[in-house]
Amino acid sequence: MTPTKRMLHLAFALGKERLFSTRMLIMLPILLLFIPGMAWGFADPNIQLPANQIPENATETMFLASIGIVFAGTMAAVLIAHDGISRDRTNGVLEVRLSQPMPRWRQGVVMIIGHWTSIAFPVTLLLFISMLLVGYRSDMWIPLGDAIIYVVAAMLVLLWYTVFALLASSIAREQGSAIAFSIGLWFLFTLLWVLFTTLLAALNGVAVGDTQDQGYLIFEGRLDLLSPNGVYHHLLETRLDGVERGVSALGAYIAAFVWTIVPLYLFQRRLNRLVP
Amino acid sequence: MGDDIAMQFSAIGFRHSIPKPTWYNPLKKGKGAGITHVDLAITKGEIIGLVGTNGAGKTTLLRMISGILPLEEGNVSQAGMELDVRALRSMVGFMPEQVRWSSQQTIRQTMTEFAHLRGCSVQSALDVLSLVGLRNRIDASLDSLSQGMRQRLSLAVALLGTPEILVLDEPFNGMDPVATDAFKRLLRSLADKGISIIISSHHLIELDLLADTIALLHRGQLLAHGTTESLQSSLGFEQMTELVLDKMIPESLANTLNILNYVDVANEHRYVIESGRHDLLETLIEKKFQISTWRVVPPTLIELLCAATGLDRETIGMDVEQSSMIPLRTIGGEEE
Repeated sequence: MTPTKRMLHLAFALGKERLFSTRMLIMLPILLLFIPGMAWGFADPNIQLPANQIPENATETMFLASIGIVFAGTMAAVLIAHDGISRDRTNGVLEVRLSQPMPRWRQGVVMIIGHWTSIAFPVTLLLFISMLLVGYRSDMWIPLGDAIIYVVAAMLVLLWYTVFALLASSIAREQGSAIAFSIGLWFLFTLLWVLFTTLLAALNGVAVGDTQDQGYLIFEGRLDLLSPNGVYHHLLETRLDGVERGVSALGAYIAAFVWTIVPLYLFQRRLNRLVP
Repeated sequence: MGDDIAMQFSAIGFRHSIPKPTWYNPLKKGKGAGITHVDLAITKGEIIGLVGTNGAGKTTLLRMISGILPLEEGNVSQAGMELDVRALRSMVGFMPEQVRWSSQQTIRQTMTEFAHLRGCSVQSALDVLSLVGLRNRIDASLDSLSQGMRQRLSLAVALLGTPEILVLDEPFNGMDPVATDAFKRLLRSLADKGISIIISSHHLIELDLLADTIALLHRGQLLAHGTTESLQSSLGFEQMTELVLDKMIPESLANTLNILNYVDVANEHRYVIESGRHDLLETLIEKKFQISTWRVVPPTLIELLCAATGLDRETIGMDVEQSSMIPLRTIGGEEE
């Protein structure tokens, strides 16, 4: 068996273990409620949204429903991976793992793929169900290209949060710190980012009270490049018409690339220097 | 002799990174305790007992030998060829102190996982379970294992991929006496097959009986390494003889002996004297002494460690009598 096959075998085993774990069972109803549930709600033909927004096609409906990924999907990724390393460190298994000849970068890839696939698999399934629900309820079907971008963007944001959580787990010496670190990061990007954006915009003299103000939208759009959720939405917006937030499609792809590479590099660097 | 060396560690060193906060940099780190300039030659089939006080650096040294901690100084070689960390890890099987294996995973799944990490076949990994007596529990979940079984599983994982050196950190912890005995026999049979074993343990009596050589570690430095006899002679230990007699040795004869210890218990007179007085036995028989014990007493590992460090038992912190410091509570009474 080649080293790559061994690596994939280990990643598959880890993913399977996490997929059928108790915490996944607990999170599954939340994911169901937030992902297909939101798609069902936003696909309502009589929906009343703030600022008289009415989704004109299935891509827009799915864009609105992406808030389910932002809230529940990313939270599930964090909860799945937050103790990926700290648990093994606490019970001594990490020491045994690190003494094995498989290079640490390969062990790192196993951890990332294992944890990521365990959350990516149910989320992808729920996204497809969401698309079917939107098509069934509004009779508007998402084009294949948009569907691919939608799923890929969701997978990327889950990957970023998984790597953040593993990175936090590698730094934390025990479970409490690991979960505080991971949830704190999730809280910052998911909930506090709006406050942070508004504050910075106000300091820069942008009209923060008017959400339709082009200056504010462009400021917010550019600042969103510093947030994984923001980049996720930029990726989705590449498939929407009439959205101008100061970031081109190429800019969004580059940001996604950077958000993928930098945390992966930091995690691998951390793993190479890890002391049990 | 050179061909018998399984692995040679030359002038290796590692120091732990510890927080040293300052008012302007609360996250500042500095160098703390660790291992300094250790030279250790491991012979094929040798069982080395690593002895040292708490904080002497035993676990750090074992982690360095296992390739978990980097060698900040020095190098490791085999047959004159310097080894990189990956080669080192593939040659060493490591059993850490108390791994709390816990999950819904079975022993079979765990062994399969570590077979992949080790790069050996799954079947050979499962076969190792027979060696440690876990074959009949192969489908038991890790959560259901007792501490002794977890120790056995740790040993099974360390034995994967037929390592040339087995590194065991406190292996007897949590094992019952029967399992400990079986474990020691297993280690001896592995050593007879040419596997070198390094054991760190606070069970010094077990260690003394098992180990071929003793390595004395103190404050990150390897003070001495050799057989008990060579350590005795290099540390200037006199051979001691214990004898138990029915009556006291007369003063005239006692003055000619170097008596190291004397205890009078229930009409039995126990002497520990410096060895080498073969004439004494004849004299005692002539003088109609009843001799119930006459034996050479080797120094204990604690005594060797004390001699190597120049510290007494109390200072070195291994004296169990220190437990007398714990306040006692009488039945229904106050703390004394």
